[in-house]
Amino acid sequence: MIATLLIGLREGLEAALVVGVLLAYVGKLGRPDAARKIWLGVAAAILLSLGLGALLTYGAYGLSFTAQEAIGGSLSILAVAMVTWMVFWMLKMSRGISGELRGQVDRALVGSGWGVAAIGFISVAREGIETALFIWATTRASGTAPLVGFLTAISGILIAVAIGWALYRGLLRVNLTVFFRWTGVLLIIFAAGVLAYGIHDLQEAGFLPGPFIAAPEGAGPIATAWFGEAGWAFRIPHIVAPDGVLAVLLKGTLGFSPEMTKLEVLAWASYLIITLPLFLVRSYGAQRASRKERK
Amino acid sequence: MTHQKLKGSATLAAIGAATLLLAGCVPNAAPSAQSIAVSAVDDGCEVAETAGTSGTITFTVQNDGTKVNEFYLLGSNKLTIVGEVENIAPGTSRDLTVQVGPGEYFTACKPGMIGAGVGQSPFTVTGDEVATTPEEDAVVAQYIAYVKTQTEELVPQVEAFVDAYKAGNDDEARALFPIARINYERIEPTAEQFGDLDPKIDYRKPGAIEEGLPFTGFHRIEQDLWLDRAIENYSQPEKNHYPKDDLVALTPDERAEIGDQLVADISELNEKVKSPDFSLTLADITEGAKGLLDEVAAPDGKLPGEENEFAHTDLYDFTANVEGAQVAFDTVRELLVANGGEDLAKDLDTRFADMLATLATYGSYDAGFVSYDTVDTTKRNELAAKLSALSEPMSRLTAGVVES
Repeated sequence: MIATLLIGLREGLEAALVVGVLLAYVGKLGRPDAARKIWLGVAAAILLSLGLGALLTYGAYGLSFTAQEAIGGSLSILAVAMVTWMVFWMLKMSRGISGELRGQVDRALVGSGWGVAAIGFISVAREGIETALFIWATTRASGTAPLVGFLTAISGILIAVAIGWALYRGLLRVNLTVFFRWTGVLLIIFAAGVLAYGIHDLQEAGFLPGPFIAAPEGAGPIATAWFGEAGWAFRIPHIVAPDGVLAVLLKGTLGFSPEMTKLEVLAWASYLIITLPLFLVRSYGAQRASRKERK
Repeated sequence: MTHQKLKGSATLAAIGAATLLLAGCVPNAAPSAQSIAVSAVDDGCEVAETAGTSGTITFTVQNDGTKVNEFYLLGSNKLTIVGEVENIAPGTSRDLTVQVGPGEYFTACKPGMIGAGVGQSPFTVTGDEVATTPEEDAVVAQYIAYVKTQTEELVPQVEAFVDAYKAGNDDEARALFPIARINYERIEPTAEQFGDLDPKIDYRKPGAIEEGLPFTGFHRIEQDLWLDRAIENYSQPEKNHYPKDDLVALTPDERAEIGDQLVADISELNEKVKSPDFSLTLADITEGAKGLLDEVAAPDGKLPGEENEFAHTDLYDFTANVEGAQVAFDTVRELLVANGGEDLAKDLDTRFADMLATLATYGSYDAGFVSYDTVDTTKRNELAAKLSALSEPMSRLTAGVVES
């Protein structure tokens, strides 16, 4: 029971958190039309996932493992790129928000709002495909009452949605400059996690070097260190149980997993080390600039 | 990025995903397809069958334990994930449908998603290779024909070399040594598929000692023909730990024995390649092409000058390896282009031409190549740079040619 609940929670958490922050963004700017478009993107992603799940289960063809991982991995990396872009773009726009430039932001707000909708779509679709397959399997499975399993998985997702909603409410109470700074930081931290396991997916599919591929023959020691057993950065499932609540929350928020590969950690750290300081410097810089203007 | 571009990239992603979907489809289990039951518990993983036939196989994994489970089908190296199904909640069952060719695999479960998995057990797939297109079959047949001509030419070359060596015409034998190896070096990865032959034919002394095999073949004769250099070489501190009791001149009888064995091994290789049972896959060809370049760069390969550590004829082998890789690439070139890999193909054309032109500045098979010990570090670095410029795009060849 609890296991099924946690699966739903884990798969739902990342998507819900990103969508929560997105909705907070447009809510803060008073753009209900853009919020509707985000919901449309989310709904489209859910429908696509459900449809795909049904098709892959009942249709004549299924998705090969490599294709599943490749799609998941590529969408993750695309989502990271889009979220990163959005965070910096918003930062630039927020400079003017405090002043008379609200109109300009309105015009530009992610244009007509479809850009944010696309981010919502990708964030949800990324998790949706896997979740849909899982839920389908749960309802079809024999053994314990399938309906119970199905409802438990959905409950997990609903808890994830509730956490996303709480974040959204909380963020609405924060003042605007601080809001842009901290939602930006949150999104960058989420994105780093998404990037890490996007890399992990591509490693599992054999597209990137990692623990799932043997080192090519004759490779030097530097190259060999990324393949096979040597490709793991750490494996501590005996300390943080991967099926426990803690692991689920860590993975859903920070992208931390008890077993991570070197490439994953490297990508995660590089992204944070480059993006976060850059963002904070610009954010504080923008604040100073706007104060000067007001004087 | 502007808003338009953002929309553009989202569209692009959707198209990309759709393409992947089409390329990555596997047939779901038809009623006649093989379905294999798997029972996963917290400390075990019972697979109902230990073998299957190539094609589509569905594992129906029932989680009879109390923890969330995962089921894996791993490649023969126990690392490569051929297929996995995650998130199997207790009491539920999920299907893993895979399309597999003949070979050795391993199955494993990962209860609690922890560690390397439990209940790892071998799973054998027999039967035919997964269906290929006529174009692919033609390409493979063309490459097999090439391998055959190489082994056919190899036999008389090695015979001439061994004859001179047995007759005591050492100068002639020294001149023939690098020539006798050319055909072998062009198809080395294929020859290495015959795991028992390559160690007898082409192992170097350290390799033979490490694996506890008798030191025979090309390099044993090389050591005898360049004995002074061998003695000098194995007195160097870094090689001093190797036994030196074989660093004495061979008697005519011993020469005949070791020479005849090389001819016999080469002839057996030729017979095996000509046998109707001999087959290769597209991936064997493309990976072999990459393998040939790796042979050059390996720590005991041509680039460091370790391949022919006494004769210093490494540039012959180097050239032959690159030529062999080029032939393999040329054979699959059209498939690569048909799969949209035209840029990669053009890149490889340029890199090959550049590598071979650089090698030609050192000589040719007919006129002879300069002794590799006269090639200084700067020049070796240049060769290494051109080689890695070629190896990098080459590593993408398999993915570009073989559709998954």
